[in-house]
Amino acid sequence: MQLLEKLKKLGHKNTGIRDFCIQTIRFKKFLENARSLLDLFEDGREKFTGEYIFDRHYVVSLIDSVVEQLGMMVYDASVLAPDRGEELYAAYDRHKLAAANLIESNGSRPNAGPSESLAADRDDPEYQLLSDALMWFNGKNAAAHTTVMELMKKIFFFVIQSLESPGSPERQALSEKSTVLAADKDFYLIDLWKDALALPETQRSVSDFNSVPLRHLLMDVDETGGKAKGHFQKSGAWVAAASEYQLSLNTLNPDFQFRLETLASGYEPSDFIFIFADSSTNLDTLLPKGFHVENSDYGRFAWNLDVSAKTIEDSLMIIGRNLFG
Amino acid sequence: MNEQPLKIMVIDDENIVGKRLKPALEKTGDIVEAFEEGETALARFAQEPFDIVVTDIRMEKIDGIEILERILAKSQRTKVIIITGYATVEIAREALSKGAFDFIAKPFKPSDLRQIIERASKELRS
Repeated sequence: MQLLEKLKKLGHKNTGIRDFCIQTIRFKKFLENARSLLDLFEDGREKFTGEYIFDRHYVVSLIDSVVEQLGMMVYDASVLAPDRGEELYAAYDRHKLAAANLIESNGSRPNAGPSESLAADRDDPEYQLLSDALMWFNGKNAAAHTTVMELMKKIFFFVIQSLESPGSPERQALSEKSTVLAADKDFYLIDLWKDALALPETQRSVSDFNSVPLRHLLMDVDETGGKAKGHFQKSGAWVAAASEYQLSLNTLNPDFQFRLETLASGYEPSDFIFIFADSSTNLDTLLPKGFHVENSDYGRFAWNLDVSAKTIEDSLMIIGRNLFG
Repeated sequence: MNEQPLKIMVIDDENIVGKRLKPALEKTGDIVEAFEEGETALARFAQEPFDIVVTDIRMEKIDGIEILERILAKSQRTKVIIITGYATVEIAREALSKGAFDFIAKPFKPSDLRQIIERASKELRS
């Protein structure tokens, strides 16, 4: 996080805008760690199809990597939501123990497969260990709140709750600085890198803002648009924190939790769209096809990874239309 | 004209590798023998050379590099393919500099290994 440290030193200290920018940039790092975890789950699932030759070392490395990556998520979360740090580290310790027990068990637990369609040759201890690991990662039949995915959802919720806390000085700073209110739309508009270093002297227009994802989000929204419609009218003022390829969109309404994060750099392996919405939001009417949606006690999470630049751009246009069109 | 089946030796101290590779490689009619211990495999090789040896790099008693050296000392024509769980440039470079035909990183698909074996087979038959 050297870059964030530099921003902290160089940025102006007289407002919460710098800290807001740093939080947003750190949240992107947090999402990258979450994505790495999902990639590890996917890698394990792929190897479990029976098409691959792997050994115990692979499975143990996979479990170790999940523990390490989860630890990085917990660290980021404890920085973004310090009040939850103790609780998250306690949950993390339980998962470290679960991982150690899993490796110790050596795949000796019978009938623990994530799928009933396992072939007979999956009786090998390596397959059984991988099966148990997949169950621990995100098993649909696993005991409630024992999976890594469940902890990930909890971490996300704590972080988003903390970021969007109405009393946070970072968010209060937005409404206190009139120059960050867009001249042409009902948006608070933050340039993630420039505004962290110096506050804008005059109001800017969304249309003048050099941000690929923001441009696509609002592409089909007419000049007078920019106000949420339908269900999303309750959203209140929107905050768009953007850089050339990154966009973080959320609202200042304490009763409506919605957060969209995206990277649209054109480099497919790292581009993504992530959305969190509270339980009252119907994502089915908002999102185009292709999103993975996870429901939780906290709200709904949706993401689309490993997609082309065009898919990202098209998806943002549809979401923008559904939100503001 | 039918080609002679290849004689392939698989050496990996993880039982699952030989157990799953043997039937996968036998599908094309080749003769495959799997070993979990390097010494046993080398003793078998001393009785009768194999066309292709597929060996793990990291094993407890004898590692893959030593197997590579001892196989090539006995039979220059044998193609040795190294399996590695740690696909580092260093390991690949060392194995290749010592005469390995190629290497493949675990986890892998048998079809990926089959492609390497086909290339080795072409060289053997040229």
